[in-house]
Amino acid sequence: MTTARNPNISRRDFVLTSALTAAAAALGGPSPAWAQDKSLDMWWWGEQELPGLQKFVDSSIAAYKDVGVKSMLQDTAVVISQFQTAAAAGNAPDIQYLWNGIYHMESVWLGYVKALNGLVKDDIIKASNPTILSHFGGNIYRLGWYPLPMFWCYNKVLFEKAGLDPENPPKTWDELLVACDKLKSSGTEAIGGGIQDGYWSEWYISHGLVQNLDNFGEMVQLFAGDRDFREPKYHEHWVRLEELKTKGFLNKDMPSLELYPGIDLVVAGKLGIGQTIGTRLPADSKATGGKIGYMVMPVFGKGKLAGVPLVDMQGLGISSNAEDPAAAAAFLEYLNSPGRLKAFWDSTGWLPSNTSFDASVIADESVRTMWQKWGLSPNISNVTNLVPGQWYERAAIPTGQRIVAGEITGEQAGELASDVAKEWREFNPDMVENYRKWADDLSKM
Amino acid sequence: MRTVQRLRPYLYVLPLVALLAFVYGYPLVRIFEFSFKMVRGIDGPWIGLRNYRLILSQDVFWESVLHNVQLLLAIPAMIAISLLVSILLYERVPGWKLYRIIVFVPFILAVPIIAVVMKRMFQFSGPVNEVLRWLSLDFMALDWIGSSDVALWTVMILIIWRESALGIILFLARLLSLDEAVIEAARLDGVSWLQRVRYVIIPQMRGVIEFYAVVSVITILSAVFAYVFVVGGGRGGPGTATMVIEFYIFNALIRTSLPGIAAAASVLLFLVSVALIYPLFRARKHLAEDEGRS
Repeated sequence: MTTARNPNISRRDFVLTSALTAAAAALGGPSPAWAQDKSLDMWWWGEQELPGLQKFVDSSIAAYKDVGVKSMLQDTAVVISQFQTAAAAGNAPDIQYLWNGIYHMESVWLGYVKALNGLVKDDIIKASNPTILSHFGGNIYRLGWYPLPMFWCYNKVLFEKAGLDPENPPKTWDELLVACDKLKSSGTEAIGGGIQDGYWSEWYISHGLVQNLDNFGEMVQLFAGDRDFREPKYHEHWVRLEELKTKGFLNKDMPSLELYPGIDLVVAGKLGIGQTIGTRLPADSKATGGKIGYMVMPVFGKGKLAGVPLVDMQGLGISSNAEDPAAAAAFLEYLNSPGRLKAFWDSTGWLPSNTSFDASVIADESVRTMWQKWGLSPNISNVTNLVPGQWYERAAIPTGQRIVAGEITGEQAGELASDVAKEWREFNPDMVENYRKWADDLSKM
Repeated sequence: MRTVQRLRPYLYVLPLVALLAFVYGYPLVRIFEFSFKMVRGIDGPWIGLRNYRLILSQDVFWESVLHNVQLLLAIPAMIAISLLVSILLYERVPGWKLYRIIVFVPFILAVPIIAVVMKRMFQFSGPVNEVLRWLSLDFMALDWIGSSDVALWTVMILIIWRESALGIILFLARLLSLDEAVIEAARLDGVSWLQRVRYVIIPQMRGVIEFYAVVSVITILSAVFAYVFVVGGGRGGPGTATMVIEFYIFNALIRTSLPGIAAAASVLLFLVSVALIYPLFRARKHLAEDEGRS
């Protein structure tokens, strides 16, 4: 949607403008000056997880001279529903913030998002790494904005205390069990975090379930009904979690702690190993004097995706309601220019998603290494971005919580996941075919 | 001419009726309409009773209903606590005016603020359990918000603590309007405190107690979202342990993109609430009659 700009004007200006507008209308149409006075609307999200993003957006808009841009920071709860409602009414913004995978793919299937290939330069799309989860029917629907590397973290001081090598974290599941045992013997709670708000469950699936997949299409087929969570390899990660629970390796207050306070335990030296996310690394590394290590989840699975670094990606797209998609595309390209990539780093202290970003500005060694290992090396996207919202709420979150609480086994978690996937198909018969097509696409990539 | 005169009063109120119909009636009609559609975005195809069938066949819906019903058990406790505290305040224990303010504070504070504070207190390693362990009551140091067996009861404790404040103020207001001569006469006749409460005070408060009970039922059926959202980790958890109907509707609408399902569940909740409006009015009528007599 393209709208007229709304600068601050005095009452005098307002009266004068009204008179001129009326005159122009009376003469049969807008003047050339009126026609040029257009702007793009941009609805975005991210300040909530990346403080400083507002500053970057504001400075980008102020510096961009080709066209005015009006931005609106969205509330977390309505990012999708607000966009979809506006798009259905034909009032969606030109540029829309899009979470990865199903969080924007449903909007694609509803026809609310424009394909970017042919609209944005190919080299910019590729450099931004929108991930394969933005592909459907041969088109790409997002531009990567900023990455969220996901990994496991550990406290090097506690590793040393337990007689473990802090520079060589466990790589296999068996090595992990040995490490947990040593940590426990040294009087430290070995592994875990906080699962009360459920995000730990989601992240665990991101790292664990993917280990038995050969491609992302396989995951989508679990929802389309062509595969089943009851197959052992699709719930093995939950069985492994159950193993950590039964061996007494999980921290005792895990069920009553939220995600971030749980990660804080690792930083504070009260927990050996946890799950974390890249955006926390600069602060955590600084707080511990570089004593926070990070690793890929130790491998137990036999899938082709096992052991590959995981990077989720936030992104931006162009809505189908955009009156001037080329102008919107030009602004997105501008956000990926070298000057703007540096401005992103300066404003947020975090990495923009673009492989051409000059990483020499990163002072913290651990952050620079992470960018090289997780950002520039081969990586995979977050598999939980493929799960329908209904399955996320009814299976992804409760399974982890209930295993950690000792209420169900890993196998029972698989049954629950299978039942909820079936339930999702009953509730959303119109989505199943799209999921099948998406699975076909992803299986070939 | 006579017809016009007859219609005139109705014409005067017509704009207001039209406004009310638009403000209240239109959304209601749309919710009913959506409940029969598979809504995607802002509309969708007509699917008859399918949404209702899906909801009624879903375990989590019935779990939500059960949790709402379980939370109703809080009401007798709320009434008992409100009665006890309000009568103690009425007896003008030293500092009663200050206590009156203090007991009402929970009701003034926003639920999310209270819930966040309570949640920290009830964490497994939180102050409540620390105190219990210090008192060698380890067996009582439960995982208040992390265990599926306990979390709903923790929500209930929080609801009782906050919602009782309203009961205390309502009951105290009623007590202060009673004829003290009757209570004084009972005292002079040698009636014990318990007997005075049972045979003199409570019968005169029947109306306000009924009113508070009905309001509390409606609160627990349709206004406990904030408690559950905060204590249940924003998920109605752990697992589905604190899921209630309001949360079920929120999830369907916001998190699972199923406005039709959310609408159908809202209609069901609306119908139950309407069924409770009748006793509410009846209780209010009792209250008015009581006040008329006193």
